[in-house]
Amino acid sequence: MKAPKSALLVVLLPLFVLLLAFASLSFGAGGVGWQDSLHWLLGASSDAHVDLVLGELRLPRLLKALALGAALGAAGVLLQTVTRNPLAETGLLGVNSGAALGVALGIALFAGQSPAAQIGWALGGATLGSLLVLLLARAGGGQSSPLRLVLAGLALTATCHSLTAWLALVSTANLDRYRFWLLGSLAHPHAGLLWPSLVLIGVGLTAAMGLVRPLSALALGDDLARALGQRPAPARVGAVVVVALLTGTSVALAGPIPFLGLIAPYCARTLAGVTIASQLPYSILLGSALMLSADLSSRLLLAPFEAPVSAVLAGIGAPLLIWMVNRDATLALMPAGTER
Amino acid sequence: MTKAVRRLAPIPLLLMLAYAALVAGTPRLSASQVYAGLFGPGADWLSTLVTQFRLPRLCAALVVGIGLGAAGALLQNLTRNRLASPDVLGINDGALLALALSLMLNPTGLLGPWWCAVAGALITAVFTLLAAGGVGTRGYRVLVVGLGIASLLRAGFDIALATLPIFHATGLYAFSVGSLAGRAWPVVTVAAALLGILLTACWVISRALALLCLHDDSIRGLGVNLGQLRFTVLMLAAALAGVTVGVGGPIGFVALAAPMLAQRLSPDGGIPVWCSASIGAVLVTGADLLGRIAAAPVEVPVGVVSGFLGGPFLLWLLVRPKACGAG
Repeated sequence: MKAPKSALLVVLLPLFVLLLAFASLSFGAGGVGWQDSLHWLLGASSDAHVDLVLGELRLPRLLKALALGAALGAAGVLLQTVTRNPLAETGLLGVNSGAALGVALGIALFAGQSPAAQIGWALGGATLGSLLVLLLARAGGGQSSPLRLVLAGLALTATCHSLTAWLALVSTANLDRYRFWLLGSLAHPHAGLLWPSLVLIGVGLTAAMGLVRPLSALALGDDLARALGQRPAPARVGAVVVVALLTGTSVALAGPIPFLGLIAPYCARTLAGVTIASQLPYSILLGSALMLSADLSSRLLLAPFEAPVSAVLAGIGAPLLIWMVNRDATLALMPAGTER
Repeated sequence: MTKAVRRLAPIPLLLMLAYAALVAGTPRLSASQVYAGLFGPGADWLSTLVTQFRLPRLCAALVVGIGLGAAGALLQNLTRNRLASPDVLGINDGALLALALSLMLNPTGLLGPWWCAVAGALITAVFTLLAAGGVGTRGYRVLVVGLGIASLLRAGFDIALATLPIFHATGLYAFSVGSLAGRAWPVVTVAAALLGILLTACWVISRALALLCLHDDSIRGLGVNLGQLRFTVLMLAAALAGVTVGVGGPIGFVALAAPMLAQRLSPDGGIPVWCSASIGAVLVTGADLLGRIAAAPVEVPVGVVSGFLGGPFLLWLLVRPKACGAG
């Protein structure tokens, strides 16, 4: 029974993503409906207004959402495998806020910087953040409660966030820009930022695919992985570097986006099973689909205002987190001696 | 005897910090100027500076610190979890969201009555209680559930922020960082009065509170209605946290650190509420002072200082090989 189900999914999921992508081109401000976007896609439209709305506004936004969803979905799977923690997510563990602090620092130190520098600062922050996460996860020797890591992420987030907030508050002129950037808005396509980010995310996704075999071996435990001819430490560091690359780029592109790396891998596990080889592609597709739907609802929910897409995702992700924590009895196990 | 002395240790520190808070700033005052500003006779500007700017801000810091310290101690006694605090459990975010909603629903565009924060805190506490399936369970679970609720409420706050005009949004964002700048007497006096009522209630139930470090069955065996007691303590803690958010916005980690330091000072039994409250006052006053003088002439909001110092503190608590302490 399993094979036909997954075959159906392989066809249906990309179709679903395409449908959402078309919807993303067809809805929103600007008075351009789905007929117009269909004409434009077929190359039959010569209307300058349609060209502007679709080519300059909605298409970059669509590409951005697709890339972000794929990147964060993949990063979530990698991080969860490396830390052996179903709650590991770049937002919850503080990698996002590390990258955001990097960007804020870059903007504060060198105002008016180039897109390349912005990506560089975000990558630096994300690398530091994810290395710290790896160290913290290893500090417990794999014996510690999954929830402890989440709380450590909360601590990291608080520190980074307060520094970022201070940088934003010091330069009052930049506060508005920071505000929208920090909330993970997809609304402002930075033209110079989009294409390099897409390339970097493509590189990251390819590298993630390459890590599937070593990581699948790691899931069996370090000893078995060694017996299978894999070296655990380089695989782990490689995964963390890819996580930093994907997260840093996505944060530079759209600000920290929470919970996507929790929701997409969770749904992928439910749909495709626990092996990483099947989980990763599904998580990438589901991440894109989720991001597109969140972006669409952020546009339509409060129109003419725009709800921050991070808030929309938190609205889905936070209940999922609560449900996961409450459902899984083993999650709530805690190491002895940590209570008061 | 020595125990009592140790519990009083924060008081001289608090007095020193209070004095420094009145003296430091631009312009820097001398002791005699502060005295003249407080009790006269002195120049008009001196009296205005001291009694209308620095003194209310100091009192706001004291109110916020005492409230947070007491709320943290109550919650940690209640959950028997040294990481429980109103910020981790989402209570502060609930209070903040309530304030944002009051701003949106108010036709005059002013921040609604600040007791909205208290109402928001109480509602959130009940909600967290329901979502976590009881607050008495030991462990990290209630904390991560609280974290989830906090993210949910933050999302609501972000949406509220996005729909507000930029002028209000900027002010509300600055408030949401946690700051004591420009707090004036009207807010401070009412908050202090409410704080007094809540602390009196804490004092009234202090005997029952001391029982919370016992085993559940032992407490029931003493004839105490445990469910009722827990609910009362939770509501008290939430109301205390709500008062502090109403005055200074959400200031993180004070409610986490103060009870822990208090327990260091008197390591037997449960967490001493009064000692924790005085340490909370020391922490907030100190953080506010630090924020005022560290990067002068720019002012660092107290919430930023507490987050910057509190994050590593929580991290240290979590990665420490063996958590020690009574209980």
